[in-house]
Amino acid sequence: MNPSNPPQAAEYGGDEVSAIVLDPGYSTTRAGFAGEDAPKSLIPTYYGKYNADGQEKLVFGDDIFTPRPGLSIHNPVGKDGIVEDWDMAEKVWEYSFTSRLTGSKPGNPFQNGLNDFSNDELPQEMEVETDEKPLSDSPLLMSEPGWNPAKAREKTIEIAMEKWNTPAFYLARNGVLASFAAGKASALVIDIGASNISITPVHDGMILKRGVQHSPLGGDYISSQIRALFKKNSPQPITITPHYLISSKTAVEAGQPPQANYKTFAADKAPDASYRALLEERTLSEFKECVVQVWPGPGKLSAPGPTGVPNEEAARNYPGRPFEFPDGYNQSFSVDRFRVVESLFDAKAAIPDPDSPVPAPTQAQTLPEIIKASLGGVDVDIRPHLLSNVVVTGASSLLYGFTERLNAELMALFPGPRVRISAPGNTAERRFGSWIGGSILASLGTFHQMWISKKEYEEHGPSIVEKRCK
Amino acid sequence: MPPFKDEHILLIAPGSQMTLAQLGLPETFTPRAIPLPNAHFEPYRIREIRHEAKVPNGSGAPEEEPPKEDTEMKDSTSAAADGTATETAAGAEAGAEGGEKTEESTQTVQEVFYDEDVTSEEGAVYPIQNGRIVDWECFFALLTHIFNALSPPFHTPVLMIAQPVWSARDRETIAQFVFEKFKVPGFTLMDSALAACYGYGVQTATVVDVGKNKVDVTAVVDFQIQEHGRGIALEGCGGDAMTDRLVELLGSKGFSREMCEQLKRSNITEILPPGTPLPGSSATAHQGTNPAAPGDANGSGSAPGTEGNGENNGEEEGVLDVAAIVSGNTSEYLANMEKEKANTKKGAADPKQPKLPNAQKDKGTFQFEEFIEMEEENTTGGAKRYKRNSREIAVGVERFLSTTARQQAGPRLTSGILDDIATQIYHTISSVPYVSKRSELWDSLIIVGCGSKVRGFVPALLGVITQKFILSPTSSIFTSEIPSTISTPLGTGANTPAPVPQGQSAPGPMYHPAAHGSLKLPEYFPEFKDQPNTNAPGASSGPGSTSQGGHGTEEAVFLGAQMAAKVFFVIDQGLSKGYLSRMDYNESGPSAIHETTL
Repeated sequence: MNPSNPPQAAEYGGDEVSAIVLDPGYSTTRAGFAGEDAPKSLIPTYYGKYNADGQEKLVFGDDIFTPRPGLSIHNPVGKDGIVEDWDMAEKVWEYSFTSRLTGSKPGNPFQNGLNDFSNDELPQEMEVETDEKPLSDSPLLMSEPGWNPAKAREKTIEIAMEKWNTPAFYLARNGVLASFAAGKASALVIDIGASNISITPVHDGMILKRGVQHSPLGGDYISSQIRALFKKNSPQPITITPHYLISSKTAVEAGQPPQANYKTFAADKAPDASYRALLEERTLSEFKECVVQVWPGPGKLSAPGPTGVPNEEAARNYPGRPFEFPDGYNQSFSVDRFRVVESLFDAKAAIPDPDSPVPAPTQAQTLPEIIKASLGGVDVDIRPHLLSNVVVTGASSLLYGFTERLNAELMALFPGPRVRISAPGNTAERRFGSWIGGSILASLGTFHQMWISKKEYEEHGPSIVEKRCK
Repeated sequence: MPPFKDEHILLIAPGSQMTLAQLGLPETFTPRAIPLPNAHFEPYRIREIRHEAKVPNGSGAPEEEPPKEDTEMKDSTSAAADGTATETAAGAEAGAEGGEKTEESTQTVQEVFYDEDVTSEEGAVYPIQNGRIVDWECFFALLTHIFNALSPPFHTPVLMIAQPVWSARDRETIAQFVFEKFKVPGFTLMDSALAACYGYGVQTATVVDVGKNKVDVTAVVDFQIQEHGRGIALEGCGGDAMTDRLVELLGSKGFSREMCEQLKRSNITEILPPGTPLPGSSATAHQGTNPAAPGDANGSGSAPGTEGNGENNGEEEGVLDVAAIVSGNTSEYLANMEKEKANTKKGAADPKQPKLPNAQKDKGTFQFEEFIEMEEENTTGGAKRYKRNSREIAVGVERFLSTTARQQAGPRLTSGILDDIATQIYHTISSVPYVSKRSELWDSLIIVGCGSKVRGFVPALLGVITQKFILSPTSSIFTSEIPSTISTPLGTGANTPAPVPQGQSAPGPMYHPAAHGSLKLPEYFPEFKDQPNTNAPGASSGPGSTSQGGHGTEEAVFLGAQMAAKVFFVIDQGLSKGYLSRMDYNESGPSAIHETTL
């Protein structure tokens, strides 16, 4: 090709805009463009509040991990996964897509350099709105928990339409989306999240509402169990000192008291206790990633094993896993690392901690029981079909050995039907299951007719979401 | 499509302070293809100086331009479409470094001469701040200028380095502009962190980019940027923060910001590894809450005995200087000062022990260079002329404290730049979902950016990381105990997952950094090796800008861009979708850039 030949003049004339998929959870909020394989933006749903110069300031995203004087951490979503503080939820969600995807404001066409106007050509009467809303040109697909009340759904579409000005909107159940991500139209979706675990039966792409079950034994509950374990730890109770309170640490032998230089903040400067809890939670999630293990079964940890040796003894024989805390304290964890998650399957195995704000679990809240309850709520005919399409999603399901144990429990509960678990080995696919499902759904050509358009919303009001998004 | 040729490839690396651009890949990748008269590699300053008051024979342009873009555009765009006005303003800038006559006197239609004003940045517009594009119009004008100045042939693909902070929509807008304005046949945006990895030739690394006012920390695993948990544009951590701290420490002693800036770049400023005692005092150089720091900040009182003759002279100079110049008899004053300086040099040389390394000396001196206005009768066309003047200034132990926590650090509880960066590195690495990769990420830190040029920065940062985050060696005995639990697939069907991959990886010590280190550039790019810094303002022409002296490891990003351009445009010719071709753009629009964005 001759470099002096000008290129052809054909130009892109289309107006394809990819939809934004927003998957808000209790612990993190995921946002990204439809059609991509992972959300571009992953932010904590928590937000921070502090006072500076006499004004209350808010921080979002990863910024909340930066210590600030008097910083307190809040979550707009309640423990059961339903939004409690709508104003803040709106702000957090908005941050999730404006920070990495859309930018704070879409460029004014007069100033983005793509259009040439000379001064006198500038049409005076065509004043462009200065405060454009963040989603004016992107359709939005949002997810919600299966037990989201109608009021909350209407409020969600109201925010999307009126505050963000999205041209089209759809609200989908996250369980349904997770089954789409696994490539299934019918599935029993087991979602192990931070604040909740939930079971969602999906049949032909429709949620079976009577079978939706959830219980609070999620990642946060496991954290409370780990804290209970640390309190009772021998040779000494473990306190978690987050990194921000440590200026340097020195090496100590395993089990020896830590030797670290600590940082102190003046009382009026110190961040709130909720900030410390947030940072402790990060150490705990490392602990979950690196140490915690689910007893693979068969049988409970407390039950006798097949060879007569109690399972607990067998677990004790597993080599320990070491963990080092931010202050340098380190220890190897043996059977204890199984015990902190055992109560997900066996309420009696919960480590008691009377001081904990988290109540002790009941047997009805355990995973096998809610699966049973969920299947009890659906038609007998489709149960075997659901059991052969069990989809596991949610970050807490990445606990080591979780799927094996789940499999063992399901086999024990339903000896007859063929049980088949589908759990992607890829970490991202597991963590972002419902987001990925949304990404697939929103980029399907056939989905276009499902969108609720702005016009329809204006005609029918927020109640349209109940009619259209079933 | 026929393959692109090396000499047609255009690389653009926009930055807050300066934008690097290069047309054509040189035979061996060098930061600057020197001997060619139309230097292929020219640093264009982004700042657009709008001092056009110098040549009144122009026309309607007002004497003093307000720094606002809008008025500028109104004034001079009547005939100039496509933003040529702004572009020529940038053009005036461009000549500064290369010394090309053609550029230096670029004209607008209205025959207003633009000239660089070396002494002031008043009216300069920086389209990029903290990595963010804050002024799109200006940014596009800059791109247009680069294109016009380098005038690439039609068959030129463009590779642009993207700042991590650019949002998806920003990238689309840039792609749209480049395709529709310049009609390029191919375009790609490459993330700066990834470019650094290319430059170093590693696929898994933690890239720490220390810029002027911000720091980016990025984990790259197998050439994949880990977006989640990435530290993007952390403010108050870059080079300016160090200068601010020096101003805070030395401001009371009559140091101007410009002096502190040059002091920071001088070779007597050093960041000592944590725990190193400061010379002449028992305080340590880096402590979380350094009790000595406020004392030092409050002036010379806390550093008794460091107030030698040399330092006094230096400071008096600093103060007198300004007054004398203001009063007018500059030439006389300058002559005097030359004498004085000679004396100072003699006087200072004797009592000092020159053998000591810098880190152990109570005080050091550095050359402060500044521009002094020459008042001459027959200046051409009324332009001011400036003379470069340099003098020595002595500084005490404050020069070791540039990264300590500032007193007025705003609403964050910081304990120093290094601490903040180390914390961010920890955050970024622990957000990487592949637990088994984390120790590798700790092992391979890439530190780029001009902010890291300050002497001792890298060792000191590694020191802080060791202190705060590195695992004690005793625990490594555990590594032998790690269970080898590679379980066999269960009999429940093909979909039963193998255990989660990261569960198999060695937990505990392996996850924690057992060792860490910063990587070195490959040896075969000698041009990119570290060179001594210069702090002369002439080299960087003007205050506040980043030093041009050495093309050290700081520019690994550009080297990486060169390699990537070679690979994507020339070697595999689009097979791996390394760039967005014009055909694809026409088909799917600006959002297609996300599929190729590296």
